[in-house]
Amino acid sequence: MSAAAPATPTSPYRLAIQPGKSIEELKTALIERFAATVDPADRWDLTLLVSRDRLHEAAAFLRDDLALRFDVLLDVIGIDYLSFPDHRAERFAVTYLFKSTVFRHRLKLKVRLDEDDATIASLTDLYPIAEWHERETWDQFGIVFAGHPNLKRLLNHHEFQGHPLRKDYPCQKRQKLSLNDPMLDQLEARLKAKGYQVVSAANGSAQTGAGA
Amino acid sequence: MTFKPVPSAPAIPEPSLEHAGVFLSSAEALVNWSRRNSLWPFPFGTACCGIEFMGVVSSMYDISRFGAELVRFSPRQADVIIIAGTVTYKQAPVLRRIYDQMCDPKWVIAAGACATSGGFYDCYCTMPGIDEVIPVDIYIAGCPPRPEAFLEGIIQLQKKIDGEKFRDSRAMGAERRATTTVAA
Repeated sequence: MSAAAPATPTSPYRLAIQPGKSIEELKTALIERFAATVDPADRWDLTLLVSRDRLHEAAAFLRDDLALRFDVLLDVIGIDYLSFPDHRAERFAVTYLFKSTVFRHRLKLKVRLDEDDATIASLTDLYPIAEWHERETWDQFGIVFAGHPNLKRLLNHHEFQGHPLRKDYPCQKRQKLSLNDPMLDQLEARLKAKGYQVVSAANGSAQTGAGA
Repeated sequence: MTFKPVPSAPAIPEPSLEHAGVFLSSAEALVNWSRRNSLWPFPFGTACCGIEFMGVVSSMYDISRFGAELVRFSPRQADVIIIAGTVTYKQAPVLRRIYDQMCDPKWVIAAGACATSGGFYDCYCTMPGIDEVIPVDIYIAGCPPRPEAFLEGIIQLQKKIDGEKFRDSRAMGAERRATTTVAA
């Protein structure tokens, strides 16, 4: 048996563990194509700073390029640098964590956002999981994701005012929720569509707020 | 010469009601006795105290020794609601609604630091104590409380039920006051 010419991998598993582009190649590709810069604050991993306008394009490239295959969006993270020491750049940042289950590599993309215009393109058309991640980021930081199909609060209740993870939100400011079942009308509509007869009015005992 | 004392005649038992198998008591004592010995708890477990409550129910500590083993998962069948865990403001109307669905007479046990005071969650989303939305009968300290503390809370609740008067009871429309605290 000659070990000089290894057999071409045929099984999907063998294909999967073939290395993609090395991290250095990946870095140069992104820097060339999307004018990305390396974030010096990330000391353990690779974070690339991209501009807001290029983010969607860069994410599409990361997902679709056959040598990269970043097929998972692990997380979307909002950052408020308001009380960060010696911070000169824009106030907000959004970090996207990508992972490739094919090549087993990871990458972070970071976008800095100005306080006056904290809007960024949604990635829901590329990664469906981004819908909830972006809802959470909007809920807690007030960063608007343009093109999001359903930008509602995810963690805080629907009567909440403000965005609690912003550093200028007083963290002990509590907000009471007065109305039970904010989705009752949707539930009743769904029941009616299935042929049930809905008896109770929408606000039967729904107005049972705190201290009632 | 000595005289033996004349032995007194044997006492003839008086015909009593007790002897005849009849007992006199107040209706309050009877009703309270039956209520305190068949508490049906509704576990509103939202955090680690709920896990601790499972230990209280199961065989090692065995809450059925106090007649409270029949855990119901419908508020309409429960007598006592045990809030074991953190309650957020988003959850508060849900808790209130479950409490409203319970039939009288009903009692509330706030188990653990979070349910009694919010615990260490001093933040925008956590309710500092469930007594903001529902009246509490027994507070149990601990993070989470030991099963013994849970049982002590049940015993304190039984004592409280024993002392209840119909004219004070919630069934008559009067709001009672929460009083008892169990030390950890």
